[in-house]
Amino acid sequence: MCRRDFLRNLAITSGAIAIGGSIIASCGGQSTTTVDGLAIGTPDKPIKLPITTEPIADGLASESGTLEILNWADYQNPESISIFEKQFGCKVSTSIYDTEEAAIAKLRNGTFKPDIIIGMTDTGLAKLIAADILQPLNKSYISNFGNVIEGLQSPYYDVDAQYTVPYMIYGNGIGYRTDRIDKNAFTENGYDTLWDAVHSGKLGVLDSYRDTLAMAMFRAGNFDANTTDAAIIKKAGDDLVAMREATNPKVDILAYQELSSGNRDINFTWSGDLFTALQYLPEGVSPDVLGFWYPEKTVAKNDFMCVAKGAKSPVLAHQLINFLSDTDNALLNRQYVGYQPALESITVDLLISTGTIPESLIEALVTPEKYDAGLAQVLLEPAVDSLWLEQWTAFTAG
Amino acid sequence: MKNSPRLWAGFALPGTAWLLALFAVPFYAVACVAFGTIDPIFRDATPQWNPLAWDFTQAQQVFTSLATGPLRGVAVRTILFVVCAMILCFVIGFPIAYFLARHAGKRKLLLLVLIIVPFWVNYLMRMLAWVNLLSADGLFTRFMRIFGVNYNWLDGSPITVILGLVYGYVPFLILPLYATLERLDWRLVDAARDLGANSGQAFRLVTLPMSKAGLVAAGILIALPMFGDYYTNDLLSRSPSTEMIGNQIDFFLNASTQPQNGALLVIALSMFLLLFMSFYLRSTRMQARQTAR
Repeated sequence: MCRRDFLRNLAITSGAIAIGGSIIASCGGQSTTTVDGLAIGTPDKPIKLPITTEPIADGLASESGTLEILNWADYQNPESISIFEKQFGCKVSTSIYDTEEAAIAKLRNGTFKPDIIIGMTDTGLAKLIAADILQPLNKSYISNFGNVIEGLQSPYYDVDAQYTVPYMIYGNGIGYRTDRIDKNAFTENGYDTLWDAVHSGKLGVLDSYRDTLAMAMFRAGNFDANTTDAAIIKKAGDDLVAMREATNPKVDILAYQELSSGNRDINFTWSGDLFTALQYLPEGVSPDVLGFWYPEKTVAKNDFMCVAKGAKSPVLAHQLINFLSDTDNALLNRQYVGYQPALESITVDLLISTGTIPESLIEALVTPEKYDAGLAQVLLEPAVDSLWLEQWTAFTAG
Repeated sequence: MKNSPRLWAGFALPGTAWLLALFAVPFYAVACVAFGTIDPIFRDATPQWNPLAWDFTQAQQVFTSLATGPLRGVAVRTILFVVCAMILCFVIGFPIAYFLARHAGKRKLLLLVLIIVPFWVNYLMRMLAWVNLLSADGLFTRFMRIFGVNYNWLDGSPITVILGLVYGYVPFLILPLYATLERLDWRLVDAARDLGANSGQAFRLVTLPMSKAGLVAAGILIALPMFGDYYTNDLLSRSPSTEMIGNQIDFFLNASTQPQNGALLVIALSMFLLLFMSFYLRSTRMQARQTAR
């Protein structure tokens, strides 16, 4: 499973656990939403996570052994890892996980014993903390932390970034072929473009019930991506059924392939997919054929890096976090991964001037401003989650 | 020799142990997930190993959905797709098996190998090859354009999914059918012809009834995996308009917060497929009786 499967599953896990409940606990002076024993932060109620163990001491020497990474497939540049190995005189070994749930289950039962975990999200963090799997970071080893987008230096899911350092950011929007669709279509019609029967058979949406139902809600003017309102959820489901009848959409996570190959004109997808799509363009096809519409109000997310509590090489783990938070290293890493590092220093101008991203994809870049304006998806209580799933089934079951 | 019945029964032990370990126990585990609970913190399925404590609330919802809710359309479509694919498999596979058994002569083995060899390639690889061939600029699509056929095969068309199923499973029909036809006593067909039956009548009144057991066995052999198939649709369509029950099982088990529903659909599908198996067992028993007479 790859990054795209991860993102799909991320949206799934976003629907996994209750936010509702509304048991407000005091935790580190912050109001925290907890349900079923799981403490989670939301943009409205950020959480300062409890510290159950001390971070490693300052000034320790790097370990000489092997650094064990747990990461998604193809979510780190092997070249970057080689450079890190040479720089720190160590070996790096990487284990792959398919879903956050499976990874957490294996971390809990000891199948995985990594030093550093990469690519988890806020929903996964709540579980990692509940399972007591992480150790707090010692920022004295992470001098590049200041490069992180300012708004993410103290994210809602981990106030003061005690356990996590952001890795990649992305937002939801519409990828399209510029040689078939005029970008003004989105200025005029916005999300309605996805309901236009002219794209029948050439249109796709994300196979992610949280993302795609939320998109239908945004189209209808409801901008709560975590709504518990049954009527709004039902309307989103009905609207998707109308889309299905008008356009016979594909429901998958293959926009990066299908837009590049020309099999599709338009696809509701994650912004990062468009950068990956560049690598899939047939020979001789200009990158300018790919475009992205980033809605004014849409979901924006990030993932992060963190250190496991039982790490054998915790210093190296901190050093890798620091390494990947360096601008040049992050740029090199991005060349392979495709997604956009969550660093303030990696600006739109920098990415365009280095020629790694065509101007037609400027919109797909998530600026700090876009991220700040982004809507967050948080966990739903099971009863509400069932309502979302019911509508998704009505859509996908045809 | 007194012990011979026990001795012969003993030969069934490895098979029985195999079935217990790789069918009965896993199926029981599926049932335990289906009628179990969800971990309140980590939201993964918590199997309930004690059947006395099984909870059937979720089962009721899923079965209601299958009968009257959103899943009904998927169930009906799955049956329709499989029936269409089976009919096409018979239409394509029977003449091939018949030719091989009756008229291939010395080239029988060679032809059989030629038919089967392409199917040694992994199913997914073959389907992915078709995705390339059927894409907008694929060889097959371009070839069909020569004849004025400009069809978007990969736009989520039920036809593509049904043809994909046929392509994927037809060799599994040909082989058992060929095995049956090859053992037929063709002298009976010759006798029918000598007694005045034309070729059509001889086929309808002699060949077909004698092939019944093979037809049923071959039909069952391809129907069972087709009912649970999800990757053909995943690779060739990915459209809700072609969603099959296997896709819903895949979704609930791997991509939703309700893995129980996936397990329940597996049970529902198994119950449905039991009907096929019952029919097959009844047919073979009747065939055995007729042969004994």
